[in-house]
Amino acid sequence: MKNLAIHSQSYYDILEVSPQAPPQEIHRAYQRARLAYSPDSPALYTMFTPEEAKELLRLVEEAYTVLGHPERRKAYDDQLAREQTLNELPDFPEPSPEMLESQPVTPPKKDLPEGYARTRLSTYLVDPQFEQELRQIRDFNGAVLKRVREYKKISLDQLCDETRIGRPYMTALEVDDYEALPAAVFTRGFVVQVARIFGLDEKIVADSYMKNFKKYKN
Amino acid sequence: MTKTEQQFDFSYLRGQREPQSVLIAVGGGKGGVGKSFVSSSLALLLAHRGFDTVLVDLDLGSANLHTYLGQGPTQKGINEYLLQPELKFQDVISPTPFPHLRFVSGASEQLNVSTLQEGQKGRLMSALYNTPADFIVLDLSAGAHDTTLDFFLMASRQVIVMTPEPSSMENAYGFMKAAFYRKLKRHEKQLRLGGLLGQLMAKRQELGIRTPADLLQMVLLKEPERGLQLKKVMRDLSFEIVLNQARSQNDANLGPSIKTVCNKYFGVSANLLGSLDYDNAVWQALRKRRPVLLEYPHSRLYTQLTTISRQFANVPFKRAVV
Repeated sequence: MKNLAIHSQSYYDILEVSPQAPPQEIHRAYQRARLAYSPDSPALYTMFTPEEAKELLRLVEEAYTVLGHPERRKAYDDQLAREQTLNELPDFPEPSPEMLESQPVTPPKKDLPEGYARTRLSTYLVDPQFEQELRQIRDFNGAVLKRVREYKKISLDQLCDETRIGRPYMTALEVDDYEALPAAVFTRGFVVQVARIFGLDEKIVADSYMKNFKKYKN
Repeated sequence: MTKTEQQFDFSYLRGQREPQSVLIAVGGGKGGVGKSFVSSSLALLLAHRGFDTVLVDLDLGSANLHTYLGQGPTQKGINEYLLQPELKFQDVISPTPFPHLRFVSGASEQLNVSTLQEGQKGRLMSALYNTPADFIVLDLSAGAHDTTLDFFLMASRQVIVMTPEPSSMENAYGFMKAAFYRKLKRHEKQLRLGGLLGQLMAKRQELGIRTPADLLQMVLLKEPERGLQLKKVMRDLSFEIVLNQARSQNDANLGPSIKTVCNKYFGVSANLLGSLDYDNAVWQALRKRRPVLLEYPHSRLYTQLTTISRQFANVPFKRAVV
């Protein structure tokens, strides 16, 4: 038998998390729900029958399959936002704040003006010539990274905050001060993080940077 | 209606003004799960933090809360208040040896929850509602009698005590269900939903209504506007669960599961205040007729109770300076 209230709930309601919940929280909520509805859970006694619990468990799994996966979650968020707009059509009386509250909405991203692009930390004006040049570069050293950073309008502070790499290291990275950098594995990790934020191919960037690094060390 | 009832039915006052304190009701269905222990400890801790607290024994008929405070029966209590219309509620509040804590005894041979008349109940509820204090902690009786439910529903914080035993959980769930339907019934009338709830419940097999959450959802479909209002008032109901007598980590882990299941089942918020260890200290202290909190201030139980009390009054911890 269909369980009414449950089937009208969003995946977020099913897992009892907020639509803004970070992935770890969703995972924890999933584990909690799985424990609560597991067949031998004492908490179900006199509340849900084993069949209902099974159905709930299935829904919890379904919800986690979607919300536990970044891309599927995003698609689902978009779908929810669309359904929200549909709900606002006339045959339903004016939606009150409660109604809006119960349906999670992700704020739509504002579209950027023509010719702009964004990174995780900034918005910048696209320079086709530089982009072209960037695609050709195969040898990334500190100076190139610095140029990319400045082109993408990311400040050193922002970068340090986001990556949690200390500022001395970050500066050393940009001026190719190999002495000041830590052991190769760590340095490689730093470069990979920076490349990801810049939206560059992390393998090419890290490989070429580390080639110079190792050449110097030997 | 008798003359005394007419004279002292203050119930019309309730709802038109704000309660003069934060009312905390501690209920939970089954007897012996620790309602009196939790309510007395909670009141002691709140008083200890400097809040003016009144502990009220509403376990009419089998009142023994004074024992938890390590006291003998008091001179006057709810019994006298209800039987002597000239008494004011202030007169039956007796002091305790603990600073900021006052106590209303419920000890009585003549009254119990099932014999309480409507007028008496109304007068008592108004008195509780209008007594100025920071917190009033109501220790409810076992069972899900209508009177007990009314006291439970009038409180702004609704605490449910249960133990991990299936029988206790069954009764606690039963108590929550009864409270839910009682509140629902009351608002059905106020929102002029007619017999909608009755009609829906009669056809609940075909409609697939299994849980209170389903019922609310169905009302929302049939009567969007008033359904929303109903959902809104039902949201005032929030069960705050205390899991008592946890004997193992497994027992303690049950807490979040209970919360999740209640959330799904009722569709109104349920919250886990915390779980309390099973501790022999409780009955040992009771034998000595001393509050556990004073007798064993270094127990884990003390910490757990403090954590729970802090969810009612969030005062910063005093930090030791070393």
